[in-house]
Amino acid sequence: MRRVAMKLPGARLGPALLLGLLIGTVPVRAVGAERAASVKELQQKLEESLKAIQALTERVRELEARQAGTAVAASAAPAAAPSAPAAPAAASPAPGQAATPGTTESARVEALAQQLDQLETANASRGTADTGVPLHGFADVGVSTHNPINADLKGFNVGNLDFYLTPRLSDRGRALFEMNTEVSGEGSVGVDLERAQIGYQLADQATVWLGRFHSPYGYVNTALHHGAWVNNSLRRPGFLQFEDSGGIVPAHTVGLWLTGAPRVGLGKVQYDAYVGNSQQIIDGVLDMRNAGNTHGHLIVGGRLGYLFNAGAAEGLTLGVHAFSAHIGDNALPANMTRVLTYGGYAVYDTDQWENIAEVYLFDNEDLSGTSGKHHSNAGFVQLGYRASWGVPYARYEYTSLDQADNYFGAQASGYSYHRSALGLRFDLSPDAAVKLEFADTQLTDRSRDQYGAGLMQYAIRF
Amino acid sequence: MQSGSEFKQRRTPLPRAGIGWLLGAALTALSLRAAAGDVYVVCNAGISLQASDIRDVFVGEKSFAGTARLAPADNSAAQAAFLEKVMKLDARKYATLWTKKSFRDGANPPPLRATDAEAIAYVRATPGGCSYVLRAPAEGVTVVAKF
Repeated sequence: MRRVAMKLPGARLGPALLLGLLIGTVPVRAVGAERAASVKELQQKLEESLKAIQALTERVRELEARQAGTAVAASAAPAAAPSAPAAPAAASPAPGQAATPGTTESARVEALAQQLDQLETANASRGTADTGVPLHGFADVGVSTHNPINADLKGFNVGNLDFYLTPRLSDRGRALFEMNTEVSGEGSVGVDLERAQIGYQLADQATVWLGRFHSPYGYVNTALHHGAWVNNSLRRPGFLQFEDSGGIVPAHTVGLWLTGAPRVGLGKVQYDAYVGNSQQIIDGVLDMRNAGNTHGHLIVGGRLGYLFNAGAAEGLTLGVHAFSAHIGDNALPANMTRVLTYGGYAVYDTDQWENIAEVYLFDNEDLSGTSGKHHSNAGFVQLGYRASWGVPYARYEYTSLDQADNYFGAQASGYSYHRSALGLRFDLSPDAAVKLEFADTQLTDRSRDQYGAGLMQYAIRF
Repeated sequence: MQSGSEFKQRRTPLPRAGIGWLLGAALTALSLRAAAGDVYVVCNAGISLQASDIRDVFVGEKSFAGTARLAPADNSAAQAAFLEKVMKLDARKYATLWTKKSFRDGANPPPLRATDAEAIAYVRATPGGCSYVLRAPAEGVTVVAKF
């Protein structure tokens, strides 16, 4: 033991210095790294070319043998050997002209080099027309003590299976289709065409879309969409959920949308303007009227924000948003409300932080009755930190909704509440994440229920 | 169990070995720096582009150069160097960025080419084509910037 211990200094220093010297030679070699890489690539290409030549040579021999056999049988062998089928005319000598083995091989190599070039160009120029439209999507499943959509349910749950297509169109054409298979609060499975928008890009700063799109208000509604994997938090704020999942603000609009983000100063001005069918409340749920509405009223809205791309405020976006619509329901007699919503949002999105705050004010007017004007508000603040091991987040959200306002009174989820939540996202791989959330919810008008919930979600992209 | 003397003798040489490791690490850092070659961003001969636009082009924020529609393509042979030197992103963030961009805006990520030769052939053959390579390209393309 002692002898071994005595050798240790040399045993440790030696390999360390040896490794240091070995690695130390790398800079010397690195001086010619570019040339070495070039030579290596040329060698690789040469090897590939030689393999191709060998394969073709064997094929030529095979064909020559076959040809010779045929020629013997016909007693009419030509003076010169036939060229390989794949090689151009340059590879075979002119009829009646004797070819030396050297020139033949040289011509063949040249022909092969041309073929390789053609293959490379063809490969580089290939489009997507012959490869189809790639299909991508998201999916999530989970388990919770209170279902993230319907708090009356508990246990395991299937979330969304969301597919989207972005076919490549002509120079300025764009298209986006998103189909989502989702489980309703009652547990039934439904398929919804969540987005179906076809656009035309007028310029870098302006794209016009026609179809069904996510209404551009706040940040969450156009940034996070249906794919749970995209969202760092386990779920959207309750009042900003999609219509059939408890949302009380029209998440979708069927209409026309102009959007862009021109560079101004050190950042970008992000603007959106849209017009579409006014939504309707049907059986307690907002419906975006895919095929139009009966009264012809429109939702008109817009959003204006500024994204700081440099300086101390880099990553910060500040903006305002508003929309107005005439939204009725299918009660007897039907109610009609002029909904006027406006507010602001702030986002701080950097490598380390994802902080989001949105506020919504509602100044609604009863157009079918005599209840007059109603004022309500809602909002949330979410703070998230992108640590190396995951993304912890905290969120507070609330709604204070006037229950005498038919717009909220007619919606199944039009109640007031506040919720505090702590959550965590772990990325298991670049395409899979596990999220945990603990939330406390207090209902504040239709009922006074209070409940705590623990939720887990496993979300992937593909 | 090791005796106290053995432990002492094993501890003593560590600083010397550490110098060796430090020397190796320093040389490695130098060699890596020297090994990192140039990245040339190239576009089709008809395209005029500023170096400051390159990042926007490859994240889908800039689609036009004048009236010409840009068609960027990634080059897997040079992508690591390009992402590090030009985009200041790692491959994972770049992929995530495009997943979100595609899902939000309906944009498509640049197609991928395998080698410098393929990238150059693509740029030559595609109006509005742009890509990047590790070696100075021959004629037929415009070198927008060298990093």
